[in-house]
Amino acid sequence: MNKIGKNPWAYAIFTIPTLVLISVFFLYPLMMSLRYGFTQWNGIMPARFNGLTNFVTAFQDKYFWIAVRNNITFICFSIGVQIPVIVCLALLVSKVRRGKSVYKTMIFLPTILSTAVVGVIWSFIYHPQAGLLNQVLATIGLAAWQHVWLAEASTAMLSILVTNAWQWIGFYVVLVISAIYTIPKTILEAAEIDGAGGFRQTWWITLPLLRPIIVVMMLLSMIGAMKALDIVFVMTGGNPYGITEVMATYMYKKAYRIGEYGFANSIALLILLFTGILTAVFGLLTDKQEEVRY
Amino acid sequence: MKGNPLRRVFPHAVLAIYIGISLFPLVWVLNSSFKTNKEIIASPWSLPQELLVANYWNAWTGTHISQYFMNSLFISVVSAAVTLTLGTATSYALTRMKFARLSKVIGRVLLLALIVPVGSLLIPLLLLLRDLQLYNTPLALILPYITMGLPLTVFMVSAMMKSIPSELEEAGIMDGLSIYGILWRVIVPLAGPPLVPVFMLDFLSNWNEFMMANLFLTKEKFRTLPVSMVAFYDQLNMNYGSLCAAIMFSLIPVVLIYLIVQKRIIASVKA
Repeated sequence: MNKIGKNPWAYAIFTIPTLVLISVFFLYPLMMSLRYGFTQWNGIMPARFNGLTNFVTAFQDKYFWIAVRNNITFICFSIGVQIPVIVCLALLVSKVRRGKSVYKTMIFLPTILSTAVVGVIWSFIYHPQAGLLNQVLATIGLAAWQHVWLAEASTAMLSILVTNAWQWIGFYVVLVISAIYTIPKTILEAAEIDGAGGFRQTWWITLPLLRPIIVVMMLLSMIGAMKALDIVFVMTGGNPYGITEVMATYMYKKAYRIGEYGFANSIALLILLFTGILTAVFGLLTDKQEEVRY
Repeated sequence: MKGNPLRRVFPHAVLAIYIGISLFPLVWVLNSSFKTNKEIIASPWSLPQELLVANYWNAWTGTHISQYFMNSLFISVVSAAVTLTLGTATSYALTRMKFARLSKVIGRVLLLALIVPVGSLLIPLLLLLRDLQLYNTPLALILPYITMGLPLTVFMVSAMMKSIPSELEEAGIMDGLSIYGILWRVIVPLAGPPLVPVFMLDFLSNWNEFMMANLFLTKEKFRTLPVSMVAFYDQLNMNYGSLCAAIMFSLIPVVLIYLIVQKRIIASVKA
């Protein structure tokens, strides 16, 4: 075994293709991004180093801040609305005795669809004339609530957030259900002997024990929200008037519509930086709470 | 728990309502795909007056949906197959072979690739593909898809390999197998069934990918399904029935695959 496990040729054959691909199509583009973020470059002419100018420009740009604000909205919506819904659904599924796997299958289904297709379906739902939402509002006598959902400043962002939630809730529900299953039955049985009913068991025992998975979900939601790109791209393209722009679509526009490659790369770096800072701060905060608890 | 009927029915009621709301958009698209424009605008609830298969015919012939379907299939299968092959070999090297320090470094790099959002690499990747003359060839998607799929594949496969007892490898050595023989004849068959969901997950994420497909393959004959759906939305905007039929073409295969292997897909999310 030892001899065979130490075979350097085999090790090389097993790892080099992976390493080459990762180096060429991940590490190299990452380095390029780092480099061009500090240049003025239109993608064709030689790049010109301009230090932190791009970042200063970004911080002075109103639309950049709208994009940042929308990423933050994304995060708040995920944590404030999605996660409570997810936890409730997961608790309910874990409570039912029959049909558990049917519920799981159905709840998970939207998650496997392409975000682009989901975006198209929901754009159609929000369609002013033929769309499901306005038609339903008209049928139930709420015609006054009708909107041109994706084109009005007040409703566009919310419409996107609802779509995103619709797609991803199922994924996390499955995650939470499996966490619920890892809670030892004996704890709940002990509580029942002590006279705690279903609701009290859930509130005082299950939920606190789910804390780690909720922390993980919050982290994944934050990273996911910072990455948000295709759903916005497909549904509104950042419109109306840049009001639904997120950092990634803003970056995309700078790169492809106006040809400011250097500037776009600096936005890419800012997305990375902000994500890193968020993750680090969040990690610190949750670590601290952990210390207080025990 | 006591036999309180209300308590037993309540979760079912809430879940049924949620699933109703959650699946209604899909049912509505299916229903609309058989209706005329007039019917669609007249009422969202009504069932189609006659099953208007013409919408499907229009979507299939009026667009090149069959071609986009094949493009997606080819690119997704090739990428997922290569990812799984390379990922399995790399996982074996990282978990079972004795170059611990090197393996740790490789693991770190893969972790980095897992964390960095692909979106922020789109621009440099586009430029790189242009320089390599791969832009607008199927390889412009296949190579990045393999690369982006590798980190997660290696992590999932490595986790499985750790649970395989090393006695089996020793038995393989006794039988005179080389290290390649052990990987291929001992480890892969053992890890076989769990490798299926890893492949399916990677396949689905390739099949569903949009941003790279939209940017790196702009030639119409290479277009993938998600990109074509977005194009249809603009193109068929006044022809709602055909739009819904086109959406169904892209939904049906994914939903079918999902229903067949759903247990394994759901199980791999937990892992």
